[in-house]
Amino acid sequence: MLEQRLQEIFGYSEFRPGQKEIIEHLLEGRDCIALLPTGMGKSMCYQLPGYMFDKPVLIVSPLLSLMQDQVDQLRQRGEKRVVALNSFLSPNKKTYALHFLHEYRFIFTSPEMLTQPQVRQRLQSMELSLIVADEAHCISQWGFDFRPDYLRIGEILGEGRPPVLALTATATDSVLADIKKYLSMKEPYQFIHNVNRENIKLAKYMFDKKEEKHEWILEHVKNTAGPGIVYMSSRKRCDEFSQLLIENHIRAASYHAGKDAEDRQFIQQQFIQNDVEWIVATNAFGMGVHKDDIRQVIHESMPANVSNYMQEIGRAGRDGKDALAILLYADGDEHYARYIAIEDLPKTMHVDAYAAYRQMQQNPTVMLHDEGMSETAFRVLDYWMQQEPQEAVKQRLLNMEENKHTAVREMANIIHMSTCMRAKLVEYFGQTLIKTQEVCCTECGLEMDKIIGPRRKVTKQALMTWDGRLQKLLFGHI
Amino acid sequence: MLRQILLHIFYQLNNERTINAAYHLLRGKRSGQTIQDVGIFKLYPYFGILRKLARPVFEDGVNSLGVEGWIRTDDNGYFTLTESGLEQVRKLALPFFDGWHYQGNEHIFYGRLSLIVQSLSNQAAGIRSFIPVQRNEEIQGWCRQFLLASDFRSGMLQQALFHEMKTSMEQSGLSTLQKELLVERLTGVGVTGIPWQQLSFEHEMTELDCQLLFISALHKWLDTIHQHNEQFPYLLKLAENIRIDNVLTGSAYQTAQMYNQGYSLEQISAMRRLKASTIEDHLVELAMNEPTFDSTPFISHEQHEAVQQAVRTYATRKLRVLHDALPHLSYFQIRLALAKGEV
Repeated sequence: MLEQRLQEIFGYSEFRPGQKEIIEHLLEGRDCIALLPTGMGKSMCYQLPGYMFDKPVLIVSPLLSLMQDQVDQLRQRGEKRVVALNSFLSPNKKTYALHFLHEYRFIFTSPEMLTQPQVRQRLQSMELSLIVADEAHCISQWGFDFRPDYLRIGEILGEGRPPVLALTATATDSVLADIKKYLSMKEPYQFIHNVNRENIKLAKYMFDKKEEKHEWILEHVKNTAGPGIVYMSSRKRCDEFSQLLIENHIRAASYHAGKDAEDRQFIQQQFIQNDVEWIVATNAFGMGVHKDDIRQVIHESMPANVSNYMQEIGRAGRDGKDALAILLYADGDEHYARYIAIEDLPKTMHVDAYAAYRQMQQNPTVMLHDEGMSETAFRVLDYWMQQEPQEAVKQRLLNMEENKHTAVREMANIIHMSTCMRAKLVEYFGQTLIKTQEVCCTECGLEMDKIIGPRRKVTKQALMTWDGRLQKLLFGHI
Repeated sequence: MLRQILLHIFYQLNNERTINAAYHLLRGKRSGQTIQDVGIFKLYPYFGILRKLARPVFEDGVNSLGVEGWIRTDDNGYFTLTESGLEQVRKLALPFFDGWHYQGNEHIFYGRLSLIVQSLSNQAAGIRSFIPVQRNEEIQGWCRQFLLASDFRSGMLQQALFHEMKTSMEQSGLSTLQKELLVERLTGVGVTGIPWQQLSFEHEMTELDCQLLFISALHKWLDTIHQHNEQFPYLLKLAENIRIDNVLTGSAYQTAQMYNQGYSLEQISAMRRLKASTIEDHLVELAMNEPTFDSTPFISHEQHEAVQQAVRTYATRKLRVLHDALPHLSYFQIRLALAKGEV
């Protein structure tokens, strides 16, 4: 009985939607695609099978922070046979891990590591029980976060391979088609979660000037209940706006990839404990944050595509209670969104520069410094330049740019059209809204104070003395 | 505070280096030039205190000195201190730093301490597993060893560590603010570490100033732990291999060993297949770091004194100027004399 094993190993009495069906098919040896929103137990789909197979499970995860989060979770549960093969591993540790690789239950790795010959050979030479492609939309050039190295996963999928499980939170039809193709999946079982989240109410507000938005958010945050996230498009804006909130006696924190590792952990912890009420963040915040009672998600400006938007608002209301997603828009926001969307794409001039370096027999990686390219952009360029001639790469990049622009237009449509926002979002993912709901979105009519309560003032706790704090840290009391 | 530190560095550099020298110094660049600058211009406190200093932050600091009218920079990257700049230097009241002996290692010490405090905090609360505040696997491994060797389950370690930390921090002559900063970055059950942004707001100073005061506090505290080592056995253990007393770079260290075994400069150069000038660099580094280094095989007492005299007369440490004044001495001899300083 699967339920019994779930209880024994994880202490849960029942599966969440989709988990059982997926696990059953995997145990039968069938490939699966699981389209489950973040926080809905994607990882259980391979963790439980990991305890039922007698060979290691390989999990390929393109996002280092997410990988680390899953490794932490497993270790926290007391699982010792888990290893993360990533670029942070010292050479000694890597040699050790590779030598004993068959002894682990869960092997996490990044697509980049799969390109290393010693890693690839080792994986090809051993038996695996299951291969998991996490964030599988990254394998598709139609996906919003394409990672070309991910395509190399095909190279370790030889004859007689174990079943493959593709996990993703968001995928359109074209992305799903790519996932099947590149993972050479044979008639996979598909579980597609209903993308509509009824308890998340959708609001949008239009402004004439960008500056008015900050005033609006400040007033809103002063008067309504958190906990919440304000998404902003740059680190600098996060720092400045969170500072403004703090100066207005709102317990807020700025969060982005520029913060040191300790700060990131402290802020997440404070947010979970409700010591901090609002996080002002770039899209770096969210993955691996396990907080069920987020009541509001505010987008200060439009996201670059619908998938990002859905993923970000999906962090609200995981406890099933009412939550509010607010999207702010001012004239001209598309321009900025378009800029952000293609920021990480290589440009035509980069193709020429790459070709020139190659002609001079120099390593093109110097472009990372000299041409000020981002690492993501370079990886995309590097991959295609090894696959195709120069002109074809240029055309491909132009197509990719056009796709990104299309994605921005799709997002803008949801803002500008005066029909139900929920219906449009659900349609985007190829589903249809089965029933209408009473409290739905701004277009269907929305009263904010029926969804979100007034802000509860918290009396500021007196600061501890330094030795008092030390005592509490070490002994748990003063 | 970065501004004050930069002003002090520029003052010490005596207009003889470009502003880049200050950048490399703060980041603790391990190049011969930067390391020699430390000795020549007595910049030991600031070496490597901001290993991750971002270029724009540094440039903002330099620019603000210009805006205040304290320095004037020219197009080649050189600078001059103005009258009001010199006036400011006299008013400087900077906290204690000992970058030369810690070079960023103070963060490893604090990393160990924070993971151990977090472990003990969880243990006191009966929680067996938690997400470690330190990701670094070397630090994790070190702490595991330490905890096992210290019989951490008995509850005695908590007591001892609390006592050691409280006593040594009180003995260090740290300000209340510095003691607060040292405990506010620790995390445990029900007491979460405080992000820099919030510390900056609570203490009414910039994030960078908070971080600098924190680093200063660590240097001071580590010094106290070393000075009263028999009093703080656990903290001394935590400070294992943190203080760098032998500051020579790897290659210079090899040269130093051969030199101390009695090989000559030419022999070392031939045996190590390195240019004579490289070996000279190493010997200069050795002269700077080892008070007992005997420079007389290369430069006589009289010659050494002549260099010191020229430094005073011309108020410069520029090699070219000194060489012009003392043409009978080689550049190597002059550098040795500068490195050794007043005898």
